[in-house]
Amino acid sequence: MAALLSEEDRKYLTDLFGKELKSEVKILFFKSDDKDECQYCDVSQQILEELAETNEKINIKIHDFNTEGDLVEKYKVEMMPAIIMLDKDGNDMRVRFYGVPSGYEFSTLIEDIIAISKGGEVELSPATLEMLKNVDSPLKLQVFVTPTCPYCPKAVAMAQKLAMKSEYIQGEMVEANEFPELSMKYNVSSVPHIIINEGAGEFVGALPEDAFVEQVMSVVKGA
Amino acid sequence: MFNLSGISNEPKNKNYDVVIVGAGPGGLSAAIYTARAKLKTLVLERATEGGQITLTNMVEDYPGFASISGEKLADKFVEHAREFGVSFANEEVMEMDLSGDVKKIKTDFGNEYTAKVVIIATGSNPRKLGVPGENEFANRGVSYCAVCDGSFFKDKPVVVIGGGDSAIEEGIYLSKISSEVGVVHRRDKLRAQKIAQERAFKIPNMKFIWNSVVTKIGGDDSVEYVTLKDVKSGEITKYPTSGVFIYVGLVPNSQLVEDVVEMDDHGFIITNEHMETKIKGVYAVGDVRKTVLRQVITAAADGAIAAVDLTKYFD
Repeated sequence: MAALLSEEDRKYLTDLFGKELKSEVKILFFKSDDKDECQYCDVSQQILEELAETNEKINIKIHDFNTEGDLVEKYKVEMMPAIIMLDKDGNDMRVRFYGVPSGYEFSTLIEDIIAISKGGEVELSPATLEMLKNVDSPLKLQVFVTPTCPYCPKAVAMAQKLAMKSEYIQGEMVEANEFPELSMKYNVSSVPHIIINEGAGEFVGALPEDAFVEQVMSVVKGA
Repeated sequence: MFNLSGISNEPKNKNYDVVIVGAGPGGLSAAIYTARAKLKTLVLERATEGGQITLTNMVEDYPGFASISGEKLADKFVEHAREFGVSFANEEVMEMDLSGDVKKIKTDFGNEYTAKVVIIATGSNPRKLGVPGENEFANRGVSYCAVCDGSFFKDKPVVVIGGGDSAIEEGIYLSKISSEVGVVHRRDKLRAQKIAQERAFKIPNMKFIWNSVVTKIGGDDSVEYVTLKDVKSGEITKYPTSGVFIYVGLVPNSQLVEDVVEMDDHGFIITNEHMETKIKGVYAVGDVRKTVLRQVITAAADGAIAAVDLTKYFD
């Protein structure tokens, strides 16, 4: 297959990672070789491998969704292709990408890699960090996106930043077109569409940080 | 397929010569000029860099590109600005104090930036239709972004409301995904560019519903129909559809500076011919400005004019 990254983009990333990456980032990739089962696993794997070639601190481990049940169980992988990010010590940073991280979501993946290589260093307002202290039970944020939606990365980034800062929060990107049944289940027809704890709460749109956190916290308080 | 324009280069510095609010063609053009003038420039963007062109499937009227996707063109603008050292941050501006010589800009991440000059390049957002059902079905069949949401209506019928460039171009885009596109327009002819009209009229699954307005969007769990009113006869009919895409004009994103700079009745910011507002060191460019044409090329021109004028504050 021809390279997915253009020569310029590869150079840009080599440069960016060279400057920004501090410690190793471990990426676990779950897939199946069966095209009927996972149409986009190949392209996801290829883009990750091309990323890994740009900097030695990016370390990709490929796993089979169907045969490696222990790992699937351990990381609670629900679908594939799945990307899971761990820090240098192998700690799960609670960041998930389900589906190809393509289009505008590719930038989010890059920013996550950089943040995790810095030990989960992300920018959030002091008010948000204070609020996160009130989260003391698991909170799953599924952000449904399409790769062509320019508003979507902000919502994915918000969910994943919260995840990096709270051990209870998991921030997931879900590419809506690749998982039509799940999208249908939650009536996704306009993105970004954020589902909190499997439907305990939901909202649509890319909100500024305080409004996003408020939406998320309304579920926590109601629980 | 793998777009890098959304990466912010995490500015560590909080103090700039020029802060530009909004990374559409106007803001990015201004940034290219100010960076080349060696002014320390920060661009703040709340969504992905590129502005409204990222919502357009194809751009065919920006010189040098007979046909280029909005995403690609936006990407080129961003790359160009990065090349000259512009800083980018993906933050939404929540508050600005523009009164003094040093302007203060507060963002949703709790950061406060300062700048000698601020350029407001916040653009505009799609106007709401303002009919019953529009808000109720906001995430269940009503959309303002065909490239974002079009894929959810594969092989289903949709309607597009409006007769301008966006309505027709996005209607054409949707016709490749949906089973049928009904274009509802309140007049008997379109406002869109002739070339787009000609293309649209040739598409077999694009239907035109003339002299009609949508008065209601209805359904059970999700959109099932729109109610149409014939503006000539007054006749009311129900038109079955799964999706409603609304392109009935734009509202300027000028709420941030409401009561601070001069605006017209619609909220478009009034500037002089150098793009400067009544407040010294505060400029407005692109769609948010009161102007006679809102295109990529006019936004870019605004940006250049503002950027050249503002150098007077640094001489």
